[in-house]
Amino acid sequence: MLGIQDAEHEESAPEASRLLISKLSCSLVGQRERIKIIPGTLAQQVYEQEEVTEEHCCNYGLNPEYQAEIGKGALKVVGVNPAGEVRIVELGGHRFFIATLFLPQLSSLPQQPHPLITAYLKEAFDFGRVGR
Amino acid sequence: MKKTVKIGIIGDFRPDSRSHIATNEAIAHAANALGISIEVRWLPTPSLEAQTEVILQPFDALWCSPGSPYQSMDGAIHAIRFAREAGRPFIGT
Repeated sequence: MLGIQDAEHEESAPEASRLLISKLSCSLVGQRERIKIIPGTLAQQVYEQEEVTEEHCCNYGLNPEYQAEIGKGALKVVGVNPAGEVRIVELGGHRFFIATLFLPQLSSLPQQPHPLITAYLKEAFDFGRVGR
Repeated sequence: MKKTVKIGIIGDFRPDSRSHIATNEAIAHAANALGISIEVRWLPTPSLEAQTEVILQPFDALWCSPGSPYQSMDGAIHAIRFAREAGRPFIGT
């Protein structure tokens, strides 16, 4: 999407020169983190909050060297941690296209489903009914 | 007739993965809350390398699962591209 043809992941191609996804400075496995949601985004509409706490299970993330690049394309950074590192992105011009570094599914409870997942399923339902 | 929503999960399911089990459970929690009927199918990444569009066309939405490295990064990327270009609701976690 950014035209970076040789983008690589440090886990599967540690020697590559264009490491779009790199090892995080410290592992986030099992960590909970506060995340600031950028106003005026789909993510903010879904959460109805500007700050949330989410649980991670991750050792890799966007290489900070490429963070400025991301903002130039259709993919927008819409959630960041207290250090300003990318935690949620969404795609403009798409009905619902969101990616998170954390795992919303880990904090879902039977009586309290996760708002992102509920919003996603609602879109799926609407797509099945009228989207095609 | 009640419409069943078809969710395709891009990923290589491991029954011992807490994240994978939580993915199935979280979808069920949200579906219950919304009162909708769902069918969830895990789609192994090597199976998505070719004819991705044909395989994914029946799904109403796609979810890219946790658990890199995928068995096939190409399969995962083809499927994510399909979600983007074919306007399928998509979440990657």
